[in-house]
Amino acid sequence: METTQPHIIPASAATTAPVITTRQLTKRYGALEVLRGIDLDAHEGEVISILGASGSGKSTFLRCLNLLEIPTSGSLTVLDENIRFRQQGNELRIADQKQVNRLRSQVGMVFQNFCLWSHKTVLQNVMEAPIHVQGRNRQEVRDEAQKALDRVGMLNRADYYPSQLSGGQQQRVAIARALVMQPRVLLFDEPTSALDPQLVGEVLKVMQDLAAEGRTMLIVTHEMAFARDVSSRIVFLEQGTVRAQGTPQALFQGGMDERFDQFVSHFMRKT
Amino acid sequence: MNTSSLTLVGFGPDGWGKLLVIAAGLTLIAALCSFAIGGLLGTAGAALKLSSAPLLRWIGTFYTTVLRGIPEILIVYLFYFGGSLALTHLMHLAGFPGFFSLPSFVIGVVAIGLVSGAYQTEAYRSAYLRLDRGQIEAGKACGMSRTVLLWRIIAPQTLRFALPALGNIWQSVLKETALLSIIGLVELLRQSTIASGATRQPLLFYGTAALLYLLMGQLTGFGIRSVEKRLGRCWER
Amino acid sequence: MDWPFLARTAGELLTGVPLTLQLTGIALCAGFVLAASVAALAHNRLAPLRWLARLYVGLFQGTPLLVQIFIIYYGFGQIEYLRSSFLWPFLAQAYWCAIIALSLNTSAYGAEIIRGAIAAVPRNEIEAAQAMGMSGFLLRRRIIWPQALRYGLANYGNEAILLLKATSLASVITLMDVTGIAYRLVSKTYRSEEIFTISGMIYLSLTFVIVGCVHMLERWLLPRNRV
Repeated sequence: METTQPHIIPASAATTAPVITTRQLTKRYGALEVLRGIDLDAHEGEVISILGASGSGKSTFLRCLNLLEIPTSGSLTVLDENIRFRQQGNELRIADQKQVNRLRSQVGMVFQNFCLWSHKTVLQNVMEAPIHVQGRNRQEVRDEAQKALDRVGMLNRADYYPSQLSGGQQQRVAIARALVMQPRVLLFDEPTSALDPQLVGEVLKVMQDLAAEGRTMLIVTHEMAFARDVSSRIVFLEQGTVRAQGTPQALFQGGMDERFDQFVSHFMRKT
Repeated sequence: MNTSSLTLVGFGPDGWGKLLVIAAGLTLIAALCSFAIGGLLGTAGAALKLSSAPLLRWIGTFYTTVLRGIPEILIVYLFYFGGSLALTHLMHLAGFPGFFSLPSFVIGVVAIGLVSGAYQTEAYRSAYLRLDRGQIEAGKACGMSRTVLLWRIIAPQTLRFALPALGNIWQSVLKETALLSIIGLVELLRQSTIASGATRQPLLFYGTAALLYLLMGQLTGFGIRSVEKRLGRCWER
Repeated sequence: MDWPFLARTAGELLTGVPLTLQLTGIALCAGFVLAASVAALAHNRLAPLRWLARLYVGLFQGTPLLVQIFIIYYGFGQIEYLRSSFLWPFLAQAYWCAIIALSLNTSAYGAEIIRGAIAAVPRNEIEAAQAMGMSGFLLRRRIIWPQALRYGLANYGNEAILLLKATSLASVITLMDVTGIAYRLVSKTYRSEEIFTISGMIYLSLTFVIVGCVHMLERWLLPRNRV
């Protein structure tokens, strides 16, 4: 293996407050080290694309940010709150589930497989968490849910069940479901990977609009063009570490990090 | 034979119709109660079998293996004789002499419920295992607590998946209540036995009982299937 | 623990095992033949025959076995024609009535299992065989039945267990199978817990024997299923 140094240049929006901070975050499954100490500051208003080959740990990293995976060591700060862990053997455990639930309700997540609740209609899917997690008034939530569905162009399907929708439509509903919680950050875990190629565009369009609004977003994706054109920062992971990061302009012009260049050319060839 | 068969099962003064219908009602109530008890036990059993603690899993497996491997009639007998003996013993300890027995309805319903619970355990367990983990994660990612997740996502979906199996279990519970006739509960089969003894027309009355069982099974089955269809809408394309 | 009593009781209860096994075995075999015939009817080209098969299955699955036993044991004696027929020597005996009822009852469930197993044979495998010129009995013997066996064997094993448990109802019409003996012992000694617990253990062991037999059959008949 070559031993070239990873290239890291400071990101652009570093002047605003950090929304998510990780320090030396690691994750191990038995002998397998998936994350080997990741430091990241995601600032308000940033759109960060997390790139990397499969197995680089990018999805695991994203899932650690809202504790769907629990890190093996390191620290994690979300919305100025330090997540409290307790040590149990070699593992960390969540010390305060209430804290985690509270923070999760302010961090929206969009999954690769949409994961809409199949027993609820589109509108019910969007209204579920505001009512039963945030305890908000049903009528008020209904109005907001309809607005959120309208934003992603799915209001006319409000009474459909997820199984009656295409993948792209389901993913747009999933975005509305995240938006209606009025999240401070949005996490996207390969939101277009499970979609037929002709349905990718409609989802990316919605995400692009959200980025243009100045929302804080962390996106794990394989859509190189989207990462290049929409994000404010690229974080390139390799074997569980941050190999390179910087603005898309800096990274995509090439020559900054040869592993990144190889990765990009590989993907550009494929698409 | 002076009276015609139709008069005998009819609702006239010589007819057994009214008694048979009441007895069928009792059969239905006994089946409902047994099924409900089975539902509680089945939920508990499924929770045990899905638990991460080996001891709890073992208890769950023991329950389903034993209760599904022993004839229902033995369980009913055991509760009938054993229950009364235990109660009498307790009453003696408390200073009440004499013989005490539990109502056969209670004994029978608990016994059938216990067996049905073993079958319902399997229904709920396999339904739970079919749940989409992603949808549960989506709930967690929204900040749902365990309780909210359980009641809003896990329970409704498990129930929907379990419904076809539950429908079958209901049908067998309905038929198993016939066992309560041997411990003296005057449900449909017992009432038919009484009527055939009094009239010496066993074929007529057991035949009528069979028809009433069929009718109850068909009607409730129809109801369950329509609920299934309505709730199953969300999985259709 | 009253060990001598337990040992004596177990000894007496075990004398009922041959009858329990007999009822199970005979009803299983007779039931299978009936079940196969009913399943064949269910696939018949003539709609009335298909309805007949469905009616048969519906009747026996929709009513309690105990009612079926009572109709055969008490009810059939009412029919003059049967009383004078050659069947009467059988129908007058509780033993044969139990066997008839159990066979008919299990055949209805068996027919459904066989029907389901045949329906589960992949269409394209049948078509592939037909494309090679197989048809009729050859197609059934070489392709459909072996495949159906693969899908149906485990279910039929479960049915055998249910049948074993169902034979206990024969005790209600005076047969001295394990349950019948247990009931008699209880009314003599009133020691219901011990007696019914031992009987339960006997049935449980027989259940395990059936499970073991089905596993052996599976290994013998379906070597490709071996893990």
